[in-house]
Amino acid sequence: MSKYIEVKNLSVRYNGTPTLKNINFRIEHPSFLVIMGPNGAGKTTLLKAIMGLVPYEGDIRILGKAPKEARNFMGYMPQRDRINTNVPLRVRDVVLMPLLSRRKFGISREEVEQAKRALRFVGLEKLWNRNFLSLSGGQQQRVFLARTLAMDPQVIVLDEPFSATDVATKMKVVSLLHRLKSTKTIILVTHDINPLVECTDKVLLLNREMIAFGRTIEVITEENMELLYGARVPVIRQRDVCYLVGSDTHVHH
Amino acid sequence: MFTINIWVLRGIIAVFLIAIVAATVGSFSVFQRSTFFVSGIAHGSLAGAALGIYLTLYLFPVNPFFTAILFSIFFAVAIGIASHRKEDVDVAIGIMFSFSMSLAILFLAMIKEYASVAWGLIIGDLLLLSSEDIIWMLTTVLLILLFFLLFRRRLLFSIFDPDGAESMGINPYIYETLLFILIALGVVVLLKGVGAILVYALLIVPAAAAKRFTATLEGTLVLSFFISLIAGLGGILLSIFTSVAPSAYAGLIATFIYFLSLLKK
Repeated sequence: MSKYIEVKNLSVRYNGTPTLKNINFRIEHPSFLVIMGPNGAGKTTLLKAIMGLVPYEGDIRILGKAPKEARNFMGYMPQRDRINTNVPLRVRDVVLMPLLSRRKFGISREEVEQAKRALRFVGLEKLWNRNFLSLSGGQQQRVFLARTLAMDPQVIVLDEPFSATDVATKMKVVSLLHRLKSTKTIILVTHDINPLVECTDKVLLLNREMIAFGRTIEVITEENMELLYGARVPVIRQRDVCYLVGSDTHVHH
Repeated sequence: MFTINIWVLRGIIAVFLIAIVAATVGSFSVFQRSTFFVSGIAHGSLAGAALGIYLTLYLFPVNPFFTAILFSIFFAVAIGIASHRKEDVDVAIGIMFSFSMSLAILFLAMIKEYASVAWGLIIGDLLLLSSEDIIWMLTTVLLILLFFLLFRRRLLFSIFDPDGAESMGINPYIYETLLFILIALGVVVLLKGVGAILVYALLIVPAAAAKRFTATLEGTLVLSFFISLIAGLGGILLSIFTSVAPSAYAGLIATFIYFLSLLKK
């Protein structure tokens, strides 16, 4: 099995209009990639292409496989604010949902154990029978991470996991991701890279096309930020770590 | 010896079938927030049933149940397509609503026994169901249950988390349309018994009340079934003594239970 996630000459069009143009990058497995860009930059489209959910031109290889063939070893963590809060579910219903959706009837004891292990990993095993909607936003976010892990994916894709979350939740999720990065590849879209600077291996700056790709310290520069957002965004450098200062970001430390 | 009138027996069977629809289709409609859709489809099925009655009276025999199903499914799929094309679903339902009501009035106006037929379709009558009606209702409910058993997990995933479902290769639009079709079938089951206006009372109100009483999926389904059952059976019982259509009482009982649920914090 190949040890890389590779994207070559990727372009995506919606109704004839290019949404992504000529994207090229390669990351090793396991590693941690952060994708940043302004609203409408095509970040979610790039994730969808990587998961084989939108038609694209070019080539995408996930550990040597085409995206649709790689679905079995990819896990997706949704944005919490895109969830329908009108469905009365327990935590276990949420964690087991992807496993159950693969079967018409029943579920194996091993799969239930797998789900419980994932919930234990995020520190919420005691909430197995709790009403999901009664949990705090941070706990819900961790349940979603457990749900993703219950599928035992090699590659984890996260779309704006920090949207509408407080600092404590952010740091808990980041520390969990930090523990995972030695065995899983994590691809994460965010506006706020600051909590992640210490665990990120590569950063991709995206605005319909690739602005920059590389190590965090090389990519997060004031010049690149200006290219990306069209406005000056101050960057603070501290030894080999850098932080952004902006309206939706804050200095870490 | 205790004997039961055949019309009452058919009414009780119909109430059981309606309760199954309320528990399954009704609950999922409430989860999906598709309750306005239920109202729209009820009027679509009214037009279909009116056409069936017109055809039977003047051209060739066709069961109004069948034409109601055809119309409802047509409207359900049309609204599903509109939703897929990112049209405003409420606007699409509203347009279908007015289109189908116009057709219903047109078809009913062409029937000489206009008033009684229209009244029957609008308020239904659980105590006037024929054996053929019960067979149609039973067949439709079995079809709903089959779809539900096979696809409930993916349907739930699509309703709860469309993005997550899509990432697993589950197309949420297909499952939304499937839910619309199940609602269409469910509405037709209720049409004959409680009429187009009160479909909402026995399909949506029990699930809406149940969701307030319990915080689990299974609890909501089971409680919706019993609320719908109590409302339907209560409606039949009161109707026997007062000669008012059972649907009126059933609607009132269901709504009363919903108001009770509001007392629960």
